[in-house]
Amino acid sequence: MADEHQSDAPHHTTVPVIDPGLTFASVTDKISSIVLKRKTPLAWFIGFAISFILFQLMMLAITNLVFVGIGLWGVNVPVAWGIDILNFVWWIGIGHAGTLISAILLLLRQQWRTSINRFAEAMTLFAVAQAGMYPIFHLGRPWLAYWLFPYPNTMGVWPQFRSPLMWDVFAVSTYATVSAMFWFVGLIPDFATLRDRAQSKPFQIIYGWFAMGWRGSARHWHRYEMAYLLLAGLATPLVLSVHTIVSFDFAAGIIPGWHATIFPPYFVAGAIYAGFAMVLFLTIPLRKFYGLEGFITMRHVHNMAKVMLATGLIVGYGYVVEAFFGWYSGNKYERYMIWNRMHGPYAVYYWALILCNIITPQFLWIKKVRSNLLLLWLISIVVSIGMWLERFVIVVTSLHRDFLPSSWGMYQPTQWDWAMFVGTLGFFFSLLFLFIRFLPMISIFEMRTILPEAEVEE
Amino acid sequence: MIDTAYTAPQEVARLQRAALIVGIVGLLALGAGAFFEPLQFWRSYLVGYLLWAGIAIGALALLMLQHLTGGGWGLVIRRVLEAATRTLPLMLVLFIPILLGAHSIYSWTNAEVIAAHPALQEKVRYLNLTFFSVRAVIVFAIWLLLAFFLNRWSRQQDLTGDRALAKKMRVLSGPGMVLFVFTVTVAAIDWVMSLDPEWSSTIFGLLFVAAWSLSALAFSIALTAWLTKREPMAHVVAALHFHDLGKLLLALVMLWAYFSYSQFLIIWSGNLPEEIRWYLPRTHGTWGVIALVVVILHFALPFLFLLSRRFKRDPHKLVLVAVLILIMRYVDLLWVVAPNFPGTGFHLSWMDLVAPIGFGGVWLAAFSRQLRSRPLMPLNDPQLPSVLEQAHEHHESEDFIEEASA
Amino acid sequence: MAEFDNPTDLVAAARRTYQAGYRRINGYSPYPIEELSEAIGFTHTALPIIVLIGGVLGGLGGFFMQYWMEVINYPLNVGGKPYNSWPAFIPITFECTILCAALAAVFGMLALNKLPQPYHPVFNAPNFALATRDSFFLVIEASDRKFEHDAVMKFMSGLGPKDLVDVEV
Repeated sequence: MADEHQSDAPHHTTVPVIDPGLTFASVTDKISSIVLKRKTPLAWFIGFAISFILFQLMMLAITNLVFVGIGLWGVNVPVAWGIDILNFVWWIGIGHAGTLISAILLLLRQQWRTSINRFAEAMTLFAVAQAGMYPIFHLGRPWLAYWLFPYPNTMGVWPQFRSPLMWDVFAVSTYATVSAMFWFVGLIPDFATLRDRAQSKPFQIIYGWFAMGWRGSARHWHRYEMAYLLLAGLATPLVLSVHTIVSFDFAAGIIPGWHATIFPPYFVAGAIYAGFAMVLFLTIPLRKFYGLEGFITMRHVHNMAKVMLATGLIVGYGYVVEAFFGWYSGNKYERYMIWNRMHGPYAVYYWALILCNIITPQFLWIKKVRSNLLLLWLISIVVSIGMWLERFVIVVTSLHRDFLPSSWGMYQPTQWDWAMFVGTLGFFFSLLFLFIRFLPMISIFEMRTILPEAEVEE
Repeated sequence: MIDTAYTAPQEVARLQRAALIVGIVGLLALGAGAFFEPLQFWRSYLVGYLLWAGIAIGALALLMLQHLTGGGWGLVIRRVLEAATRTLPLMLVLFIPILLGAHSIYSWTNAEVIAAHPALQEKVRYLNLTFFSVRAVIVFAIWLLLAFFLNRWSRQQDLTGDRALAKKMRVLSGPGMVLFVFTVTVAAIDWVMSLDPEWSSTIFGLLFVAAWSLSALAFSIALTAWLTKREPMAHVVAALHFHDLGKLLLALVMLWAYFSYSQFLIIWSGNLPEEIRWYLPRTHGTWGVIALVVVILHFALPFLFLLSRRFKRDPHKLVLVAVLILIMRYVDLLWVVAPNFPGTGFHLSWMDLVAPIGFGGVWLAAFSRQLRSRPLMPLNDPQLPSVLEQAHEHHESEDFIEEASA
Repeated sequence: MAEFDNPTDLVAAARRTYQAGYRRINGYSPYPIEELSEAIGFTHTALPIIVLIGGVLGGLGGFFMQYWMEVINYPLNVGGKPYNSWPAFIPITFECTILCAALAAVFGMLALNKLPQPYHPVFNAPNFALATRDSFFLVIEASDRKFEHDAVMKFMSGLGPKDLVDVEV
């Protein structure tokens, strides 16, 4: 139940969710000017250039991979899943915080979500885009990826629906589709705002095209709100199901270290944990750089830190339970797996992850730490690394000691593994830079609704 | 006018008397059963105990949750939850027979069984009666301490109105929740999972966290709906609060179903002999039919009803789902516990019916006594004015709508 | 078309217009105002039903697609699992339910709102670009049964708007 920590009642804090001096006009102008009027800062160009270069590294890595084959990566037998799959899990986990912020907090009527939901949703989409590439390229023959879908074919066979990998295909593609729709629906009224504010003809046409003739009619708003709420209601179980299914990829098999019933909630909590770390990592510099302290207040930062703490504790619970049941199960493979994690060749990863994921977040109990932006930013980096290490431990250490010692092996990621990972980071940040340049990173119309003057007085 | 002291209505005292009579008769009858069929007695005792202890323990989780999140829904059920946690000493007393009867309940207390199962020989370092008792004492001590402080500070808040107390309760609830999840995990492993000492499932602790919180919430909703028919609560609790409680109920129903299904699917997929054997007796024959009933009545039906907004806002309807869930909590516990008792196949006894009623009677009597001893609303909680205002506005608009439609 | 500069005036004016017997009226605002749709007498939408139907069809379709493929059309023994491995079919059934319900929500909303619709007469109003910033508009459409140009203009100027314009259809 600790996951309910996230909701914060108004009486707990006096820090407002929005700067009280703002008005409809100033909110509209301030957010839209980032896109329309303000000169693009030099730092944006530098940041985008670096990301774009790294993105090109990804293109190179993929091109080489398609020509040579996945022998380029460090995967082998028995470690057939390497950091490619771990990056898939890591990226998709990062995406989950976005959906959580936009959908679950909407249902819980948490107003503080309003100023970060657009950004978080964009992060979701971009992270899912990175995640989706890994399993596709891991297929070895990515041009045959469409075989995964059940379509009538001359081979006369159907996909194997008892396999969790097939569930993953459906889960991730549904997740990508629904997130994109949720994001786009949220953007429609803001496209209309940009259309009416844009000064050059091409931008008017482009934004107008996406706005689809939105005019703020009361009837439209009514249906729109209903649709948005229903989408949030659908996205909430969806996001939980996605990481649950990702965890089934591991847990449905019988590999010690993978086959554990705790995996679904443990993975979901881990995903939210990593995701919130990423949101903090991105928003702390962003609010400073673009002067958005009035929109993304300390209250947001506090709440996100609390969510991180709560989910971090659930993840910690997962480690404790795994270690205890490794012994309690009485199964010698399970016992060896836990022993090997703690003392085997990859033990350093295990202890590093305990340090990053369990020890570090305990500082978040202290209010002073939650109020210190620099510390919080550093913690968010540590947690992101920790969650990456956690997936490494789960994926690699569980595989590298097969049931028979004669089949034991080791795994080392190659430079191409790293190139792909760094490249997806570049791709992710390239997309984010484009997003903050061309789209309102804060939902303008929702910000209007939380202004004091939006209240209808009776 | 609203009674500002929020004294419990007379009906609570009547409930206490009636429950006490039913409870004593029920437990005496159950005790008599011990002489005829001792094994059956222990099975019924354990299930009946777990059902009602679960409500008291789950109430602790909800109490801490509402301190952490705030909100009107938490305030209107806070006194119900607090009264429920004050029954924990009674549940400790009722746990003693389980310790005494452990030899009839838990096969790992039997040296012959251990000798026959090599896998158990190392496990007795954990599963032995001494350590089992020590763990029970520790988990109860933690629950009692949490309940003690939360109740004491809440009482002080009533008397002094000190604003710092709300913060104190909240600050305790964060770490309290962590302790709670760990202690419930220990309890679930010891009291239930070890019935089959060779079987293990890592989600089992969380499953009980969800299940016991669900029991407590269903009970709180049913009782609050009952109280709301009368003053003083009729003026305090609004449809809005039931709406929020209904949403939380839906969330917990889904959480319980999610944990249960995850456990089932992972074990079914892996199909390992030492794991699937837990499910085989429970999914075949009459237990299999009961499993289906649990899926439908514990999950599908409440889920569908609770989706509706109108349903959640109407206490008369919401109470039906809450009671259904409470009944299904019992059926589910029976399904989890009973197949581990010797005597293959499905059988029910009159004691399976008497035990939950007997425990329920005694527990409800203790609960009602505790509920009566304090005002039904926290008098000096900082949130109280805003909750009353919500309720007031709401009742006014209801009147307005009634007038308009008339 | 009357222009207001705050939501309270708009809602009050919309209520009076509705009470005066006009039905083909509409409000325009930069953000959703719950009271406004009530004021113009628009409180019901078929969207939840559409989404429910989408979800049910998606769920049934998802399950029976798997059932048909794995049990009827090409039964294949994989790992000794039964042909009808319903526990393993549930995740995809769930995903299909969500996917179809979400598609129904988005496309249902767009269809009911008749979007995309690039041209609409209200865009001709001079200040209408501010409807996406900080202005609030109330329109009585000419197709209203009670519509009579001069009477409507007079009525609307009585509502105390900031500005009043005639929009060509």
